Amino acid sequence: MLELAIGIILGCCALGAGAAMIAGIGPGIGEGNAVAKACEAIGRQPECKGDVTTTMLMGCAVAETTGLYALVIAILLIFVAPGRFVDILMKTLG
Amino acid sequence: MKQKSRSFAAADVLFILGMLAPIAFAIILKVLFIPASDDIEITGAYIFFTLKLPLFDLPITEAQINSWCVIISIFFLCLYLTHGLTAKVNTRRQHLAEWIVEKTSKLVADNMGEYFKSFAPFICAILGLSAFSSLMSLTGLFPPTSDINVIAGWSILVFILISYYKMKCGPLHYLKSFGEPVPFLAPLNVISEVATPVSMTFRHYGNILSGTVISVLIAAALQGVSSMLLGWLPGVIGEIPFLQIGLPAVLSVYFDVFSGCLQAFIFAMLTMLYVAGAFPAETYKAKKERRKQTANSK
Amino acid sequence: MQSLEIISVNLWQILISLCNLILLFLILKKFLYKPVLKVLAERKAAVDKQYENAKAAEDEANEMKKEWTDKMSDADKKAESVIKEAVANAQKRSEAILTQTQEQADRIIAQAQTDAKLERKKAQADIKKEIVDVSAVLSQKMLEREINTDDHRALIDSFIDKIGEDDEADE
Repeated sequence: MLELAIGIILGCCALGAGAAMIAGIGPGIGEGNAVAKACEAIGRQPECKGDVTTTMLMGCAVAETTGLYALVIAILLIFVAPGRFVDILMKTLG
Repeated sequence: MKQKSRSFAAADVLFILGMLAPIAFAIILKVLFIPASDDIEITGAYIFFTLKLPLFDLPITEAQINSWCVIISIFFLCLYLTHGLTAKVNTRRQHLAEWIVEKTSKLVADNMGEYFKSFAPFICAILGLSAFSSLMSLTGLFPPTSDINVIAGWSILVFILISYYKMKCGPLHYLKSFGEPVPFLAPLNVISEVATPVSMTFRHYGNILSGTVISVLIAAALQGVSSMLLGWLPGVIGEIPFLQIGLPAVLSVYFDVFSGCLQAFIFAMLTMLYVAGAFPAETYKAKKERRKQTANSK
Repeated sequence: MQSLEIISVNLWQILISLCNLILLFLILKKFLYKPVLKVLAERKAAVDKQYENAKAAEDEANEMKKEWTDKMSDADKKAESVIKEAVANAQKRSEAILTQTQEQADRIIAQAQTDAKLERKKAQADIKKEIVDVSAVLSQKMLEREINTDDHRALIDSFIDKIGEDDEADE
């Protein structure tokens, strides 16, 4: 019974981590859009290349934040959560 | 003259040693104290010892030691760069020192305005500490920036600065700014205020940590592939993970060098933008003028 | 001995890293920015001074140039006036010489004319005398007896005078 519970906890943590990383889609699309527009802008005005690149990198970094939140959650779920949950389970079962 | 130049060279050697010694010290500490493990291990910093302090125990970890090493290295780098400055530029290191100072000053002046001119050393400190900490992973050491406490400390300092500049016009103005569009949005404003340092922390930390995690995973995977492909070789030769040679270096160019420097730059940029944006320059100027007028009328 | 968990928040560590950043800020301010900015200010002062010197030198040069151009224009004026004077003098002198020579020529011509007149008169007188003499001799010879010499002479003289007067009226 205990093994089954632990197995469910581990499996669900892994599933949760995987599901959390679906959030990677958002920043991917967003940054792709940003870079595409930046390329257009550079093509239209090559003399602004430096400014456009800097601003684009800034924007990309900010857009990446949501993806990184997901990453942190996934890392927590994989490396930290199983131990905590198993501890809790052990305590409640005594 | 010759005596002087000899002492000059001696000081230079001392400074270069001072730059390299902390790194060497960190590597020696790692080799002596931290046991090498064959498993895939993704953990935080290694704890050397724990100090008993009120509220929380303070574990002195690899991250702390490494960031102190970085600070000492930068300190000696500064001494080396500013050693023998003259009004006439004649050395390469003086060019470098002036380049650093002028670039950061220009960056700060461009992004924050003339009022925040004294922020240049602070931005330079963020850039230097963050970039060098991330680059530490090139030597195989634990990069302090992949410890959340380190980044959280910087973000909280930035948050304190933001709040300080928001309160420049008096605490009443600061409190009023929370109910800005409509008063009942105040809780959301508080959350967005708190979200600033949190997002800054997780952005920097997550980037560096993801690099570390992926590097570890790929190294492990390469080891597995290597043992699968070359495991039939006799004796010790079969156990050497040949595929681990070279390939991880290519990845570390992206995850350590590019990502580390970019995150340092972005952290500095966001600091500048947030702090400059927090300062209500117009209101402050108006208030100052009003105060001056009342002082004059009295 | 163990490691921290991958995400573990510790207030003291946060505080330490906050202080680390402030420390590095102070280090950079004191050991990098202060000396470099000082050197930059020194260089700026030196460059400003050089510019000032150059400006002063330029001003001086401009002043000198102005002075020299003034002097040159003065000299030009002077030379012009000298030349004008000389030309005027020369003209005056040439005119004087011309008038003098004209006068001289006129005088010479007048003298020559008077001389010629005198000569002519003399020649007339001579011729008249000769004619008188010759006619006197002739008439003496021809009319030796009848007429007294002196009467004759008076007669002929009056006659000749008449001729001379006619001659002169002819002239």
